Amino acid sequence: MAQHVGIDLGTTLSGLAYLKGDGTPEIVPNSDGERLTPSVVYFDAHEDVKLVGSAARDGGDPERTIFQIKRYMDDPDHVLEIDGKKWTPAEISALILSKLKRDCEKIIGEIRDVVITVPANFNELARKSTIAAAEMAGMKVKRLVNEPTAAAVYYAQTQNVQGRVLVFDMGGGTLDVTILEVKGGSIRILTSEGARHLGGGNLDDLLVTAFEEQYRAQTGQGLYTDERHRRRILQSAEDAKKMLSKLQRVNDTVANDQNSGLARIDLTREGFEGLIRKMLTRTVLLVEQALDSAGLKVSEVDHVVLVGGSTRIPKVKKVLEKFFGKTPKSCGNVDECVALGAALFAKSSAKIQEVCNASYGTLAMIYNAATGEEKVANSVVIPKNTVIPCSRSQVYQTSEDNEKVIEVDITQGEDEDPRFVDVIGRLTLEVPPNRPKGCEVEVTFSYDENQRVQARVLDKASGRVKEVAVTYRGAGVLSEEELQRRSQHLRAMRIE
Amino acid sequence: MSSKSVPEKPARRISEGSVLEKVAKGEKMVDAGKSPKVVAKAEKKVSAEVLCGIQPKMGKAEVGARLKLLYRRYNRGASSLDAKMRAESETMLDAIVEVREKFFGEI
Ligand SMILES: Nc1ncnc2c1ncn2[C@@H]1O[C@H](COP(=O)(O)OP(=O)(O)OP(=O)(O)O)[C@@H](O)[C@H]1O
Ligand SMILES: [Mg+2]
Repeated sequence: MAQHVGIDLGTTLSGLAYLKGDGTPEIVPNSDGERLTPSVVYFDAHEDVKLVGSAARDGGDPERTIFQIKRYMDDPDHVLEIDGKKWTPAEISALILSKLKRDCEKIIGEIRDVVITVPANFNELARKSTIAAAEMAGMKVKRLVNEPTAAAVYYAQTQNVQGRVLVFDMGGGTLDVTILEVKGGSIRILTSEGARHLGGGNLDDLLVTAFEEQYRAQTGQGLYTDERHRRRILQSAEDAKKMLSKLQRVNDTVANDQNSGLARIDLTREGFEGLIRKMLTRTVLLVEQALDSAGLKVSEVDHVVLVGGSTRIPKVKKVLEKFFGKTPKSCGNVDECVALGAALFAKSSAKIQEVCNASYGTLAMIYNAATGEEKVANSVVIPKNTVIPCSRSQVYQTSEDNEKVIEVDITQGEDEDPRFVDVIGRLTLEVPPNRPKGCEVEVTFSYDENQRVQARVLDKASGRVKEVAVTYRGAGVLSEEELQRRSQHLRAMRIE
Repeated sequence: MSSKSVPEKPARRISEGSVLEKVAKGEKMVDAGKSPKVVAKAEKKVSAEVLCGIQPKMGKAEVGARLKLLYRRYNRGASSLDAKMRAESETMLDAIVEVREKFFGEI
């Protein structure tokens, strides 16, 4: 059985790595002979087979092809219907993971326990869905690890760096910024911040708009009317984007799907940089937020490390260079280092100190003694970036006489304003009758190294206690039974 | 925060279980000075500065601090479990970038 396996389940590309006998990580190729597998699934109309990877990406009907499912892992309402059957993002991801598992097992033997990487800002639902996807694919998730943490582990080990490292990971769908400190053989994560919709895919969308504008200017017509053609344009846009990382100018000739003639698309690097400027400003805002969270000044960062395909864009490097006043270094292997780092992490997780990904707390009436005003606010018990494992308590008072039950809403998020946090659970504790208000209630949150959260409410007067694992159980999460059923179904499926 | 850290000021109390409802109704939740008056107004072409609650008398440092708070808030909002909040957050993030460019120049 293969030991220490790491999987990067990416928005555009996924990869699996394992630790060789000598302790170095290696990427395991798929059965198509590729080191990385495009995260694309194709549902064939004639044969009962799901294609995953390049064949799916380059092949047929876009209506039957699922791209970038990872962008929806945190969306409880996202369901796809194909041939009358409904698929959740977790199930689609399970198909990608199944392909990786089945193909790689032919080379390294049975794969059971794995470390899977997720963006640092993946919410509770997305993390749960990732674990469920692995289970459906017949694997057990030993640990979920944040992508930039994995990349940093790889970078620190292979480049032998020391000091404070900022990892800037811009992939296909997300941007993650992590700051960590490397001292001797150990790594301490200081903070991880992520942004949704700040990846290469979003830049492609902007380029498609530019294609459309140029096409309309020349022909007076729209560039596409159906999804199949839009996909083609999207692919051309992505190709052009990649060329612009090397060239100053690229041209392409495109037609629409209505026979309105050809148009010559002319793009310059400068024009592209103007197009993505606002996106890049957002990336700087995220870097600033990470520095702020870690309480660091720009000058206190020793190394800036680039990870993810989108960091090949020269402007991305330039913006960071200007911001930090030093040249960012490439992780070496920008596409593979997350998977490689995950395999290293599978073995050396004990030497890596991680922090809470999010703040946890409760909703409480907060009374402002100065103004006499009362309002509901989010009261944080465990702040984000607290070193894990950890446990924190906060004492509250009941606000009414004769309360029979105490209800505690469990929140995820750091904002004081309840509108900007997610309520992910509720604890209910029955208490003895006829009590005056002002009874003390202690709320404790504990956080383990798997980023699992436990909440406990203690009514101090009666000594009654209620404890729950804090997990998001809302829409989008499969029940245990359903998970089992679908796992069986998936195992019998033809996936190539 | 020790287990006996009975609240400093302001005092915190757990209400009788109706907190969720209160939040949903948004009673008194808009902290006028601090929060932008939610994005519904964005459709009426409210300027980025108004959306971000930037006042003419604010200095650069104050604007910077305000943007920092808003970015943190809405970047998180962009991956909220609530679809409405995700949409609102996108509008706000655009506005934040616009204000930043205006006050601090392009990157
Ligand atoms: N030379 C290049 N210039 C610009 N962009 C590039 C280049 N090469 C790859 N990319 C972009 O990088 C992205 C893929 O990067 P990567 O493989 O790191 O992402 P991922 O791991 O699949 O996504 P994520 O980490 O967001 O889940 C794509 O959007 C791709 O277009
Ligand atoms: Mg990636």
